[in-house]
Amino acid sequence: MTDYEKMFHPKKLAIVGVSSDGGSVGFGNGILLACQAMGYEGQIFPVNPKGGTFAGLTIYKRVEDIPAELDFAVISVAARAVPDALRACREKGAAGAEIISSGFGELGTAEGMALEQQIRDIAATGIRVIGPNCFGIYCPKSGLTFMPGPDLSRESGPVAFLSQSGGMSIDFANTGKWMGLRFSKVVSFGNGADLRETELLRYFGDDPETRVIAMYIEGIEDGEAFFRTIQSVSAKKPVIVYKGGLSAAGQRAVVSHTASMGGSRVIWPAVLRQVRAVQVQGMMEMAQTSLAFALLPEKTFRGISVVGGGGALGVAACDAAEAAGMVLPLLPADRKALIETFLPKPGSSAANPIDVANPYVPPKALKEVLLRAAEDDRIELQVMISLLYHYKSMGQAMGKPVAEVTPYLELADVVHDAVNKTGKPVVLVLPNPRKGLDDLDIVEMQEQARRAFLDRGISVFDEIGDALRAIGHVHAYYGERNAKHE
Amino acid sequence: MNKDSAMGIIEAVQREGRKVLSEYEAKRVLASYGIPVTREILVGDGSGAAKAAAEIGYPLVMKGCSSEIAHKTERGLIHVDIRSDAEVQKAFEEIMKGMDSQGGAVLIQEMIKGRRELVMGLTRDDQFGPCVMFGLGGIFTEILKDISFRRAPLEKNDALEMMREIRGHGILDAVRGMEAADKDLLADMLIRVGRIGVEIDQVQEIDLNPVILSGSRPVVVDALIVLKQRRAG
Repeated sequence: MTDYEKMFHPKKLAIVGVSSDGGSVGFGNGILLACQAMGYEGQIFPVNPKGGTFAGLTIYKRVEDIPAELDFAVISVAARAVPDALRACREKGAAGAEIISSGFGELGTAEGMALEQQIRDIAATGIRVIGPNCFGIYCPKSGLTFMPGPDLSRESGPVAFLSQSGGMSIDFANTGKWMGLRFSKVVSFGNGADLRETELLRYFGDDPETRVIAMYIEGIEDGEAFFRTIQSVSAKKPVIVYKGGLSAAGQRAVVSHTASMGGSRVIWPAVLRQVRAVQVQGMMEMAQTSLAFALLPEKTFRGISVVGGGGALGVAACDAAEAAGMVLPLLPADRKALIETFLPKPGSSAANPIDVANPYVPPKALKEVLLRAAEDDRIELQVMISLLYHYKSMGQAMGKPVAEVTPYLELADVVHDAVNKTGKPVVLVLPNPRKGLDDLDIVEMQEQARRAFLDRGISVFDEIGDALRAIGHVHAYYGERNAKHE
Repeated sequence: MNKDSAMGIIEAVQREGRKVLSEYEAKRVLASYGIPVTREILVGDGSGAAKAAAEIGYPLVMKGCSSEIAHKTERGLIHVDIRSDAEVQKAFEEIMKGMDSQGGAVLIQEMIKGRRELVMGLTRDDQFGPCVMFGLGGIFTEILKDISFRRAPLEKNDALEMMREIRGHGILDAVRGMEAADKDLLADMLIRVGRIGVEIDQVQEIDLNPVILSGSRPVVVDALIVLKQRRAG
């Protein structure tokens, strides 16, 4: 049995490969500092044959000298020294180790392959390995983090992320930080000599701290096992997959049309549909989709209303909704007329999309619009497009900074109220076409606004297309899952 | 379903050192898995052709049949809509002449009437193993590439989804006086194609093209089965 608890929430952590103060600063030093900066509460035992001290900690010359049983180890020494270090950590009781070092199978050399095989063999004797050639684990709850992640969030949440690529892991963790994703665990497993996609996916499937799983995949080791696992996990919780590196056709010379058309660019999407995974085409879409799954109720949203923006944004919303399998039901004349009593005239139109005529409609009026529109049974979710950047012009006229005149806090409060009163989620879209150096005040205000909504559990997207694509994934996933259970 | 009889055909082909089954052999493999194929008889001489024609009944189709020939249309080895004994003899001689040095025989088969052509197939993906294909058949297969795939083994729901997934799925409905396709039967065929891939390791690729809708019923009209390259020794 793999003791994942000890791996993700270690109380005794060895970091093998930490140079003493004044020495060269390697990955081991970086990880140690990053974990300290994150406020990791466990005990850290740095190791280096030369001894000394670093960051206020005594460096042990050998793993064997550590005066405690270990839970987990970070190994960052030259590839050739890794097997001995790993063996020593196992003997010290570590349930697992992440091997940051490179110089293994990824080199394609006989020596690299042989070292990786040694790691696999040691792992089989009772220590689970993440890596080599990886960034390892980021776990907000324990404070364990990547070397380049000293300022990641300590707030835990429902999203787990799993990736071969270390770069993708840190990018996704950083994106999540501002976008509002909260992570249960993030794992970069690099070469995946021992633990890799299928086993980690199965673990996240069973992990009560994880409700949404996102993963970046380049290749998989065992197609059959992966297929069965992702199929069973997808039946329990959404698995969002970004597959990198697809080729148009198979590599071998083939005779039939079927084989010539069955390259990975076709087979992967087909397989992911078959197992009910949620397919995305890039990192931003993966993050946006994770956000929607994390913050929206677990259900379908066939009918939606779109409030705000202008005429063109309303049209774009209709197009994007349709592409995502959703509709904007036309509101009946009496409801339309009622909603229009709260909106400026002329210029507004409450047919759905609801064009509110100008960007300065007071939050109180917008709340009425949300409440009235939600009374239509066909509406299951509301999207509000708020063009907050226009407040800069108002601020200029009044001689005040944009952040001061923009009522984003009040708007966040009324939207939150509307969600509570109607029981129907609202998703915010805060576009900002003004991002240049002379508009950094707008950029900052927009991020304050995003934070205000996220603090109230309301998801925020930058573009209407992003929002509806993400909502569409949620709609499609629960639609299919429910259909399959019938 | 009879894996043993399919294996018998495949092993015989392998003993001859061949990698590609003839159309006739491929159809016997399909038939042993319960996949509907054209009624057909393989003949080697003119009198056999006459007898076979009488048994199958007019109109019929005659094809040169040899594992060496993958693209029969381009080589004038297909004669369609044959309606008399005289036409049978003429077609027989022309086809035999066209195949000259390659040997082979002539396949006499019922002519399936239908304007809707589909394709089914099987490929082995490096990561996921046997995968089944469905799509628009005939000349549209290559031009439109309107196809869908699922990993085998298929459940019925997978097969039905494959049909819904192609852009031209409307062709399976009742259109222009044509009956709606029997989707249960189509699904069953796709499941069986997948089963061949799962049960018979030697099969590397399958093309069933075209599968023609005769009214509502799909029938495999042409078939190609390619075996794995056998390792030396």
